[in-house]
Amino acid sequence: MKANMQADLLLPTNEDTVGPYFPINFSDPLLEDLSQFESGITAQPQGVPIILKGRLLDRYGELANGTVVEFWQANAKGVYRSPKHEGDSDIDPWFWGYGRLRTESGEFEFKTIMPGPCADRASNITITLFSDGISRIVTQIFFADQTGNASDPLLQSLSCEDQAKLSARHEGEADCGSKIYTIDIVMAGENEIPFFDDLIREGE
Amino acid sequence: MSNTGRQLKIGPTDNTSDQRTPRNRLRLIPEIARESFAPYVPQRGLSRQNDWDLTRIAPDLPRAEGVAIEVSGKLQNERGTPISNAMLEIWNANHFGRYRHIEDHSNIPLDEHFLGTGRVFTDSEGNYTFWTISPGAYLARPDIGRWRPKHIHISVSGGGSRLITQLYFPDEPNNASDPMAILMGDDFERNIGKPYETPKIDVDSGLNFDIVVGGRNAVYFE
Repeated sequence: MKANMQADLLLPTNEDTVGPYFPINFSDPLLEDLSQFESGITAQPQGVPIILKGRLLDRYGELANGTVVEFWQANAKGVYRSPKHEGDSDIDPWFWGYGRLRTESGEFEFKTIMPGPCADRASNITITLFSDGISRIVTQIFFADQTGNASDPLLQSLSCEDQAKLSARHEGEADCGSKIYTIDIVMAGENEIPFFDDLIREGE
Repeated sequence: MSNTGRQLKIGPTDNTSDQRTPRNRLRLIPEIARESFAPYVPQRGLSRQNDWDLTRIAPDLPRAEGVAIEVSGKLQNERGTPISNAMLEIWNANHFGRYRHIEDHSNIPLDEHFLGTGRVFTDSEGNYTFWTISPGAYLARPDIGRWRPKHIHISVSGGGSRLITQLYFPDEPNNASDPMAILMGDDFERNIGKPYETPKIDVDSGLNFDIVVGGRNAVYFE
């Protein structure tokens, strides 16, 4: 295998488009609703249940059908379920924080709990998109009515206009009592939202 | 010193790429926020007993039409550390170039013995193996005669690894005109499998595909 001699690293396999036919039979209902644990178990994640309703739009304002959307968030106490936090007493045993769905139409509903703010960060959910025509792209969305947005380092690195594009709006309650938040994720063109580069570091 | 992220490129002759590719440069992530961008994917289970063998829908059913192949390789991060217990989700078109996907409306025939989806896990050394039918190429843009070359979709997830890629076949006439292959340039070579012979197992040939998960995708394996 060829190696990058400079840093003695292996050259990565190229990311590629997911294409239009990500198998629907790979869907897992447990990854589309993090607001409850497995069925039949007397247990529930801590926190305020929310429903994030999103629309994925292309540069012509059309829905981006067939897109795979992944979610990653902290629990209600602001702790991520990652090796770095193993053994943390604020880990919620009934909440992992990774979600995934494939939207047939380009609209989605993701059930979860409101992520807690954590050290220096406002409540947020990382969103990864895999769609036909593109390779993986990532962004992070916030909640317009939550505190801490004004001092979040990621939000504050953006213009006011771009900050607004990443802010989900609270729009009422569902019958089940969950708070509903809505967001338009415009992938390209006039109202394109900011996407982030998780391969290049600042200063590199 | 780089003050901006990558500029994504649009795949030539790919209409969807034109519709969906962000036009602005990617933004840099402030150092303090980087960790939050690295999902840690929980391990999940398999759903069917022959998830590793896409050449037949179930162990008691006949083999699908076409050339049966074994695909195998090692999953590792950029430092060469094997990635164990990662899930590979696999899907490919049948021998004729048709997906058994409810949104594939092409007129290419289905194969009554081919499902075309499967999953496997890497072992403790990062190795994986699955069997499938060598997929057919299909005409993606009839208006300009542009084909999608033979390819197998592979999605890798588990722990800090997340990668969706495609495995291509050597010496295929349509490789050169594929929009994503064009964007990869010389790097495309790394997504082409290396053939090997399989005299002792019940497939026609093998294709080796070592997968290296790059960048932050391997953050928790460093």
